[in-house]
Amino acid sequence: MNLLAFVGRRLAGAAVLLVLLSAAIFAATAVLPGDAVSAVAGVDASEGQRADVRAELGLDRPAAERYASWAADALRGDLGRGFIGERPVTEVLATRLPNSLLLAGLTLAVTAPLATLLGLWTGLRGGGADRLVSTGAQVLAAVPEFVIAALLIAVLAVWLEVLPRVSVIPLGGTPLDVPRALALPVLTLSAVGLAVATRLLRVSVADAAATPYCEAARLNGVRGVRLAARHILPNAAGPAVQALTLTTGALVGSAVVVENVFDYPGIGRELQLAVAARDVPMVQGIATALVAVMLAVLLLGDICARLLGARERHGR
Amino acid sequence: MTTVPTSQRRERPAAHRTPSRRRPPLLVGAGTLLVVLFALLGPLAAPYSPTARLAAPFQQPDGQFLLGTDVLGRDVASRVLSGGRTIVLTALAGTAAAGAVGMSAGVLAAMASRRLGDLMVRCVDALAVLPALLIVLVLAAGFPGSGTAVVAAVALATAPFSTRVLRAAADTVLTSGYVEAALARGDTRWAVLRHDVLPNIAGPALVDTALRLVASLHLTATAGFLGLGQGGAAPDWGRMVSENVPGATLAATPFLAPAMLLVLLSVCVGLLAGRLADTVGRGAA
Repeated sequence: MNLLAFVGRRLAGAAVLLVLLSAAIFAATAVLPGDAVSAVAGVDASEGQRADVRAELGLDRPAAERYASWAADALRGDLGRGFIGERPVTEVLATRLPNSLLLAGLTLAVTAPLATLLGLWTGLRGGGADRLVSTGAQVLAAVPEFVIAALLIAVLAVWLEVLPRVSVIPLGGTPLDVPRALALPVLTLSAVGLAVATRLLRVSVADAAATPYCEAARLNGVRGVRLAARHILPNAAGPAVQALTLTTGALVGSAVVVENVFDYPGIGRELQLAVAARDVPMVQGIATALVAVMLAVLLLGDICARLLGARERHGR
Repeated sequence: MTTVPTSQRRERPAAHRTPSRRRPPLLVGAGTLLVVLFALLGPLAAPYSPTARLAAPFQQPDGQFLLGTDVLGRDVASRVLSGGRTIVLTALAGTAAAGAVGMSAGVLAAMASRRLGDLMVRCVDALAVLPALLIVLVLAAGFPGSGTAVVAAVALATAPFSTRVLRAAADTVLTSGYVEAALARGDTRWAVLRHDVLPNIAGPALVDTALRLVASLHLTATAGFLGLGQGGAAPDWGRMVSENVPGATLAATPFLAPAMLLVLLSVCVGLLAGRLADTVGRGAA
């Protein structure tokens, strides 16, 4: 009961936020003087041609009116068509977003167990190993993703020649058809994700280990794996999940960069291409979709943290 | 990304800390100074024009071109020397703007009534939901080729965290006994702000700015890599990596040289900021 009300309230909040943020995205791309007209008509178009294009794209109407009609269409599942190639934005989303989600899922599968192990180890042991891993994570988190990717390319693709440099996916196929093409993108994203997640988990574990509850368990002679699995992890999981979901934004950014390094056919690559081509409807549609995905992840994280937190209260 | 706030809590007792942790970070500091000076003064030392096509693409390093030539046959050494200034200056400008915005908004939110302050933090949180890179990309789509847009985006993406941190810091000071005493004896809010609040949040503000600088460098380099901001042939370490990675099998120096410099820059600044956070955090504890 309680949980339903909680989810309902959060859902309403997320919906309001999505409307506000989509308006902000719309404003930044459409109201401000980005010259969508020259992008479509060409720079050397005459004034008459420019006026025609402006009317054809509906850019002669006030911005608020354009946003209202765009939002109404979006609610019906129509995000408009891109200026370049007249592709429907929803079609691009439908073909590219699954590829990006696959990348995210594989990264999560690699990162979550490793980060849990490292976080538990460093958070409980402390000392030199803790400092080494923490400093390593700090260093790794500071380096831009594309630099990590470039170094991995230098070692694995150029020097050792074990992995392909770009993720070429055959037309009409999915990335799963060429698992080797997925290796470098997943490896790069996992390195970044591991650095972030380990630091957060370490803090949660250290906090949980300092609670009287865990102190009592330790005094009762519980230690090692049993202490970690039965007492620390359930208590650290709630805060850790919450902290991790807050880094989703950063990981979405990382994914955009990594997709661009490896020419991976995901939504981030498409977004960058749209920005480079000044394809305003495509940028608006993809950016809004990404924000919606992020809000969904945050909501999911909140619910998970609440469920885990409830369990913690039972434990006491 | 490095927007993860460092834990202020020190869970290890003092006895576990080795003395080496307290040594001033000479090596890291020297490294930072060196690479920043290299980036700022490098353009003066470039042997050739960084944008001129001088030879065939992807020539191996030799006596004439110390690091070889890049994808368009430009001198890599000259481009490496010239390509850091934009990144460092943009990141500094973005950090300064974010610091100013975050500081004023944070202190304002703390000084305002509880409800207004909460509302401000709510709005700031909404902005923080947006992935930093998305802000940069969307603003770059709105203002193509504008360097100012990148600075504004970097500031907009990093300011929300500063606002939160500084509001919390200012809140702690404002609810302390001596501020209550100062207000009770009739000091104006402005005087309290100047003599009590600002000096006491200088430490957290400094740490916060350092952490923002790490994030700003990260974002600025990435924006360069994605070809946002001032476009064209102008050298930029980030863009050099994206230009030359496709030719990775032909020549390694054109993308490895800027990549290594970016590693050096971000690692040194990152470690320095982490050390600063540790030191100030410990001092406050």
